[in-house]
Amino acid sequence: MTTMDTMETGVSRRSFLKSAAGVSVAFAGSSLGFASLGMAQETVLRAYGVTTAQMDDPSLITKATGVKLEFTPTDADIGVFMRDALANNVGETHDIMIFDGGTQDILGPQGFYAEIDEDNPALDLWERTPDFWKKSDISVYDGKTYGVPILGNCDAFAYFPDAIGANPNGLDEIPYTVLYEDDRTRGRVALDRVFSQSLACMANFLRVNGRMQIEDPANLTPEQAKAVVDYAVERKKAGMFRTLHNSFEEQVQLIQNREVDVLECWEPAVKEAQKTMKEKAPVYAYAVEGGKKWGHGAYIPKQALDRGNGEAIYRVLNYFLGGEFRACQARDRSYAGPNMDLGVEYAEKSGWTPEQIEELRATDKKIERKMSNPNAFWAKPTAPNADVMEQEWQRFLSA
Amino acid sequence: MATATALSSPRPWRLPGTATQWFTGWFLVAWIGVVVLPLLIISAFSFFSMRQYQIVYDPTLSTWVSLAETGRWVVVLRTIRFAVTVTFLEILVAFPFALWLAKGCRSPAVRACVITLLTIPFFIDASSRIIVWRSILGTNGVINNLLVGSGLVDKPLTWLLYSDFSVSFGMFGSYFPTAVFPIFLTLSLIDDDLVKASSGLGASRLQTLRYIILPLAMPGIVGGVVFTFVPLMAAWIEPQLLGGGQVNLLGQSIQSALTNLNYPIAAALSTVVIGVLVLLLVVLIVSLRGRFSMASLFQSLDR
Repeated sequence: MTTMDTMETGVSRRSFLKSAAGVSVAFAGSSLGFASLGMAQETVLRAYGVTTAQMDDPSLITKATGVKLEFTPTDADIGVFMRDALANNVGETHDIMIFDGGTQDILGPQGFYAEIDEDNPALDLWERTPDFWKKSDISVYDGKTYGVPILGNCDAFAYFPDAIGANPNGLDEIPYTVLYEDDRTRGRVALDRVFSQSLACMANFLRVNGRMQIEDPANLTPEQAKAVVDYAVERKKAGMFRTLHNSFEEQVQLIQNREVDVLECWEPAVKEAQKTMKEKAPVYAYAVEGGKKWGHGAYIPKQALDRGNGEAIYRVLNYFLGGEFRACQARDRSYAGPNMDLGVEYAEKSGWTPEQIEELRATDKKIERKMSNPNAFWAKPTAPNADVMEQEWQRFLSA
Repeated sequence: MATATALSSPRPWRLPGTATQWFTGWFLVAWIGVVVLPLLIISAFSFFSMRQYQIVYDPTLSTWVSLAETGRWVVVLRTIRFAVTVTFLEILVAFPFALWLAKGCRSPAVRACVITLLTIPFFIDASSRIIVWRSILGTNGVINNLLVGSGLVDKPLTWLLYSDFSVSFGMFGSYFPTAVFPIFLTLSLIDDDLVKASSGLGASRLQTLRYIILPLAMPGIVGGVVFTFVPLMAAWIEPQLLGGGQVNLLGQSIQSALTNLNYPIAAALSTVVIGVLVLLLVVLIVSLRGRFSMASLFQSLDR
């Protein structure tokens, strides 16, 4: 019966299996082909980092690199970031980590971050990136490059020009005395509650004005921290400070309610206030004493390379150095970064308005002016003396 | 001789005989595992130190020494002062309010409405609820605009916000329901006939309040104190949003230590909070001994 059926159909069991296997292989092959084609178009990577590095429109990254970047946001809390890196091993699940420069000082030597392969073909914008960025504290530790700098700024403070009799065009250099010692602003000043901002800027003010011998305002010795906090307590008791804020939203609210005249804050808070306050919004200062230079770096957890994601990761890192990312970050947050000229070029090619393009150029000039102030200092989120500084700062908060 | 042997030899271990014993046993095991053990672990962390965001497991007292040196002990005292003051004010206002709600308010609809109104704020996130007060109490806020506009004051009152007053005010609003509800429940359970009998026997309203209502309401008052004081010791949102850094309390101090990943300091402060709470609870029990049993806090469950 079987033989007859086989003969009738002209197909043996062996030939059937053979052809079936062939079809299967062909089908699977074509599926894999589609899949690999799909992967080439849209590889999924996961990033963990500060929200400021996020694009308002993440699809732009995908269009440019073929990588869908799923972003797990965290705030600027160094403790949370280090906990997730060290204890929760976030590198097991994420391919790129983005945070303030300085984390590489600890996570690099301990083997959590991989060194950046500066010759990687996908990182073709690295060569043209200025040394100011790629050799900065954002990227390098102990001569080794662990991070790609993606944006930065020099934080100072915002002020309402009418309160201190300053030129409303905002181009004057304003001294930090308006925060600490000016009677016109007494009781109308807000500081950042975070010691790495407020304490460091206060130390820098005392250093620049020759009142204290301080080598690094971002990493105070116990004696220096005590002396700076003594000064802070004295100013607090003199009624200089109205409040200490703790978040971006608080900064915006303090500005919009005009609760204070001078405010140690992030520049995007002024940008946000401008949306509703227009010309009545405060001005972000060019400070005489410079301010705190900081930058976000993108770092690669070692495990991500073990997962074989290296090529896609470098494509994204290269995107961060490119014009589209730079232009969007400057437009949306007033932040600059390396290769700002590419941002202007991108805006021109993409049909941005002349005003928008001019604003990009202005942002570039502004950041350059602030960053080149010799009094400015680099932030150090993982300062070796951070514990001591935090402890001393509690004295100020408790006073 | 047999008695002496029984006394000297350990009591043989036996399985619990009743459902209550079983439940009590399991509850104790779970409670020790979920509450006591984590607390002990937290306390243990206060005897280690941190270096470069990593714990150094060498026992040391440096964390406890630094609590005194850095003024964090001042924060402990300030937090206790705030918790005691606000709890006292809460009970002072909550008792007459609860008395009216339980005995004075005759309309069930009004009573239901008031209870609902007390409950509604809990449906809103605490931060959103508190931050609104900034726009009301600020120098350019509603109250200051009204005061300056009406000519009652020449310039805005700065102490309305970012001050002891604003923090106490925020705390008062947040914890008022937790003070009212236990008192309201115990007052509701007082038989109206007792109050009538007291009046019928010639007692004045004040005497009825003092000798009948207050003793019977004591479980609710103590409950109100406990449920208000305990969370106040850990209050974080009100001092954060209404204190504006001028009123530093324990919750913020712990948060600051955690931000810097300084687990030993956070652990030491948490241990202090727990220690203070246990101490005050003991003081409360001892001071009420003979007049009131803590078990009667839950007497309403028996009815």
